[in-house]
Amino acid sequence: MRASALISLIVVMLMLWFLVQQSWPYWQHYGLGSFVSGDWYPYESLFGLAAAIIGSFWAALIALAIAIPTGLAAAVMSSEILSGPWRNLIRGSMELLAGIPSVVYGLLGLWLLLPFLQSSLHLLTGHNLLAAGLLLSVMILPTIMVMAQDALSEVSASQRDAAASLGMGWSARLWRILLPQAWPGIRSGILLALGRALGETMAVMLVVGSMDRIPEPFYNLLSPAQTLTSRIGREIGESAFGSMHFSALMACGLLLALVTIAISLLAHMHTDSARAT
Amino acid sequence: MSMNERNAKILTTMLALPALLPPAACLSYILFKGIPVLDWAMLIGSSQAIAFGSISTLWPQITGSILLMLGACALAAPVALGGALFYALAANIRQRQTLLGMMHLLVGIPPIVYGLCGLIVLVHVLHWGISLLTGMVILAVIILPMLLMNSVNAFDRIPGGKTEAARALGLSNGQLIRRVWLPVAWPALMTGLLLGMARALSETAPILFTATVFSGVVWPDSLFSPVTSLQTHIFYLAQEGANAEAVDIAWASAVILVILVTALSFGASALRKIRMDG
Amino acid sequence: MNTKKNKITTVPAELPQQVAANDAGDTSLHVSKLSLALDGKNILRDISFSLPAQGMNILIGPSGAGKSTLLRCLNLLHSDWHGELRIMGHDARCWPEGEDELRRSIGLIAQKPALFPCSIQQNIVFGLSRKECSYMPQIRIEKVLKQAALWDEVKNRLHDHAATLSVGQQQRLCIARALMLSPKMLLLDEPTASLDPRSKQFIETSLLELAQNMPVLCVTHDIEQAKRLGGQVIFMCDGHLIESGDSKLFFKYPNRIESREFLRWSVCDCS
Repeated sequence: MRASALISLIVVMLMLWFLVQQSWPYWQHYGLGSFVSGDWYPYESLFGLAAAIIGSFWAALIALAIAIPTGLAAAVMSSEILSGPWRNLIRGSMELLAGIPSVVYGLLGLWLLLPFLQSSLHLLTGHNLLAAGLLLSVMILPTIMVMAQDALSEVSASQRDAAASLGMGWSARLWRILLPQAWPGIRSGILLALGRALGETMAVMLVVGSMDRIPEPFYNLLSPAQTLTSRIGREIGESAFGSMHFSALMACGLLLALVTIAISLLAHMHTDSARAT
Repeated sequence: MSMNERNAKILTTMLALPALLPPAACLSYILFKGIPVLDWAMLIGSSQAIAFGSISTLWPQITGSILLMLGACALAAPVALGGALFYALAANIRQRQTLLGMMHLLVGIPPIVYGLCGLIVLVHVLHWGISLLTGMVILAVIILPMLLMNSVNAFDRIPGGKTEAARALGLSNGQLIRRVWLPVAWPALMTGLLLGMARALSETAPILFTATVFSGVVWPDSLFSPVTSLQTHIFYLAQEGANAEAVDIAWASAVILVILVTALSFGASALRKIRMDG
Repeated sequence: MNTKKNKITTVPAELPQQVAANDAGDTSLHVSKLSLALDGKNILRDISFSLPAQGMNILIGPSGAGKSTLLRCLNLLHSDWHGELRIMGHDARCWPEGEDELRRSIGLIAQKPALFPCSIQQNIVFGLSRKECSYMPQIRIEKVLKQAALWDEVKNRLHDHAATLSVGQQQRLCIARALMLSPKMLLLDEPTASLDPRSKQFIETSLLELAQNMPVLCVTHDIEQAKRLGGQVIFMCDGHLIESGDSKLFFKYPNRIESREFLRWSVCDCS
């Protein structure tokens, strides 16, 4: 039993160690300057990370900007406005949405969303960061919605009653009692969703366009771009084990791992210590 | 209901609408595109078609996906169960915190990072190559944290009175687990297992470059030969924009995959309804 | 519902005249024929009573009689009841400024103190609007805390988190919080059920003082407490209002068989 607990510990350590070890040549050769440079031309041995970092950032930001308000509203609606069967229906459809494999989202994005974006925005190609963000927002919506709904329903009935008997109306109760008290849960949901958005590969890879350059200007979301994950997914098959290209891709992976680890640490900082006692 | 309150509720509903429409829209579009393409021949496939590696049969892909899934669960479930029993029986508070924290960390790490590590360690360092076993191990590590946390929760929810009563009767740890805990907790444990299976079926990125090839495999010769899978099949075919038939088959594969995953999650929610005090 | 109405009428015979007299002016709350069914189960049946403009009123009865539910009905926390509820002469359902305003003018204190996770002072002013808060009513805070017999214990720690108080103090803080809205009446649902004797006494004293200026309706199933508080007694059993009247008379000469049963068993409990 103790062994299996140890296995998980060892797995984390080993993973990080191998990522560091494999990406070490890259860090040694390019150093921190690689964060600034946007040029990624494997055949010319140019491996700048900036383009992919900016791409990942934008895609996740768009996804959160859409998914947070709608997900929260859906959670409030399902836990505070609707009752019984309707609530279950929404919850069930969210779980269904969460269960659809990401590659299927990619398929939907590629053959439903991209043609739509292309024709409605008159673009040469629908492959762009906006498409990736939109697709991601649908994918992370269930995480935000389900966690927020759980957090809202955990606010006790006595708190609701106490607020109501102080004469606070529905929206006052929502803003002053429910949302503040549910906030830790909502926050965890948002952070987990952010981690998922950053790490999502297949769907993003299919719609983002895989063009290694920094958007021009930097807020141009309508041109093909690249994210950390799509770069790894596209190029890992072509790179030879042990080459600088491979090492640079491992650096992308390490970066991704560190960022997502930091995010999940933030998300669970408060809940874990309370739980284990 | 005052005006203000009604307005607030209407506003909330309007904001929530974009969240409520996509599930139905996505699902019906997948079915709309995929169902017309599906037929029995495609599912089972004539042996001839399989032999020529034709893309119009999905049988090899389905078996590949299911093999990967079963292997991953077979590897991860015992470890998860053992870890959860350690958490419930032997761990002190610090060990519990560490274990839970680690699991949360592992859940948060993107699957593609697991894929990368698998590529380094299993494919290159251990020389397993692009193989079924590599895929199984990577998927097992990916579903391990959710299985383990689920098992921890399952044991947590056993009423303390039951455990105490069993202890008062002088049951040893082994007897306690076999005769009290497992009979009470099995629906919850199975729920977790089914969800883990669904997850293993839907992960694509980590096996794309560690376990699967595009076509040509009907039944893997050994654990060390590559397989084909539904997930990666969809990925490859989706990009064959010039070939309308290929995209159609991608939709058909998507339908099969979604049906498999949904069936597993429905099974999970049906099990969840079994009360734990039975 | 309609078929049930003429089945059992348990309003004491003298009540209609009392009501007529009260309509003349000094009734602050008047309930007639209030019935409530939840999930097809009748919780309250044809409850009728009224509260005078000030004084202590005890709502007493065995557990499950529907006392707490009745309080929640008076506050419109349950609003799907049938019957009539007039507060200060207005129909409660069509309260001029809406039901939130109605709740502001009725202080309801729950059995378990439900404080919000913020400081003591923030809890007290929680019900006030931002505009009302901006006057920073320090004097009023002191006043309501004194009314709730809590001032001496918290005057130096108003900015501490409310959870640092003992349960008895928390309950008094709830009373202070309700008083901050200057309610026209106070409803309390077994406010001392989970408290030690000392806190109990604090609360009883402050309730008696408050009752001099406004009607106070206090639910309890503790007969000794009911005797100490005095005033009007309303006895409920199984969703019916069995008997109401002056507390001294009720405890000495209960009219109805249910009341006698209840009092007898309670006496046995105590001995």
